[in-house]
Amino acid sequence: MPWNRPLMIVLLAGLLALTWWRLQPADDEIRRSQLLMGTVVEIMAGGRPAGQLEDAVDAAFSEMVRLDHLLSSYNQDSEVSRLSQSASGGAVSAETAAVIGLGLEVARRSGGAFDLTLGRLKALWGIDRENPVVPNRQAITAALAGIGPNALTLNGRQLNKHDAELQIDLGGIAKGYAVDRAIAVLRERGIASAAVNAGGDMYLLGQRPERPWRVGIQQPRQKDAVLETVQVSDRAVVTSGDYERFFEKDGQRYHHIFDPQSGFPARGCQSVTIIADSVALGDALATALFVLGPQEGLRLLDQYPGAEALIVATDGSLHASPGWTKYQVAP
Amino acid sequence: MKAPWHYMTVGDWLVILPLICAALAGVAWVAAAPGGTRVVVTSGGETCFSAPLDQPRSFDIEGPLGPTHLVIDEQGVRITGSPCPRKICLSMGPARHSGDLLACVPNRILVRIDSPGGKEAPYDLLSR
Repeated sequence: MPWNRPLMIVLLAGLLALTWWRLQPADDEIRRSQLLMGTVVEIMAGGRPAGQLEDAVDAAFSEMVRLDHLLSSYNQDSEVSRLSQSASGGAVSAETAAVIGLGLEVARRSGGAFDLTLGRLKALWGIDRENPVVPNRQAITAALAGIGPNALTLNGRQLNKHDAELQIDLGGIAKGYAVDRAIAVLRERGIASAAVNAGGDMYLLGQRPERPWRVGIQQPRQKDAVLETVQVSDRAVVTSGDYERFFEKDGQRYHHIFDPQSGFPARGCQSVTIIADSVALGDALATALFVLGPQEGLRLLDQYPGAEALIVATDGSLHASPGWTKYQVAP
Repeated sequence: MKAPWHYMTVGDWLVILPLICAALAGVAWVAAAPGGTRVVVTSGGETCFSAPLDQPRSFDIEGPLGPTHLVIDEQGVRITGSPCPRKICLSMGPARHSGDLLACVPNRILVRIDSPGGKEAPYDLLSR
């Protein structure tokens, strides 16, 4: 039997295999989006067979839907809504207790800059409604009555309201907690590389195949520009800004991040980006730092080792915590 | 003992060499192919529109509140008209990088930039 025929077959088979291999995507990766919790939730996952990724992402979305029902204040049947309706509070689930516990801790450390009891104030402004209004001072004063870090007491799973009129609003932390839980679900299903992004509150699990995740940070006063890019693995990135939800009246911009002391939108910053261990913590810290402004905000951050911040002040100046540079991608 | 290629005839080489060239050209073509960046729009969770980002056009996507108007131009894709009450989607600016998202939550419209591999984007996600 001559040599050349088998060799030809082997060569052709090798070339076909090479071509087939080159045509395959380097890794399975899926990216899915849903409108949830009043925002766009996007989940990317990779590094496993497509079927496993699909199942895991389905489970992660289901977990977020469940938490939306549990923690949202616009769902009248949620546990949080029932707490708001009750005169003195009551027993809550372990998850609600965990979220409120974290929120109260940030509220205390921030001197009330972060507040879980702004439900009445937010309803008064109607910032998410069709016709938001600038309320008069009297109404604002009434909406702020009884709020603050000491307005709620949590003993285990028993939550006590100190004022029957208090409306609990977990908007500044619940979305972050839901992202954290979605990541936990993905981990439980063996996913080592994923990103869950709920309207800018995100967690980056593991790495892309060839490098850490890269996150662009929105330039607050230029819609199509990125302020800078950071590179992270197994970290949360959260941005709060005055440019996403706002209305304008008489030339003045009124946004959705309220200063609990004044009852008006906080004026110290254009945006705050936090890198932290969890999205829930990052969410709460981003709001607290936004309200406190750059100097006081960075002092608060000293109490949270492992968390870093980039603040764009009202005048556009940048203020970063000392460890921020380790995440920066060189331009 | 002679090396295998000494047994091959001219006819064998005439068959094999073009095949090798074709296979290598195929691999090079795949590697050099443009990103194929596309605008993908979903309404109510269903994909209802997809088009290349580099082909300017304007179009309407029907949502539960009515038509949302979108424009693709040299800046990217952006929402320019919407029946939603607060018009937040109109102020979101253009999306042009792989992974960028625009949304009109009340009208259940989601706009995404998709690029196979997404390697040309300077970032994977945008925090805003």
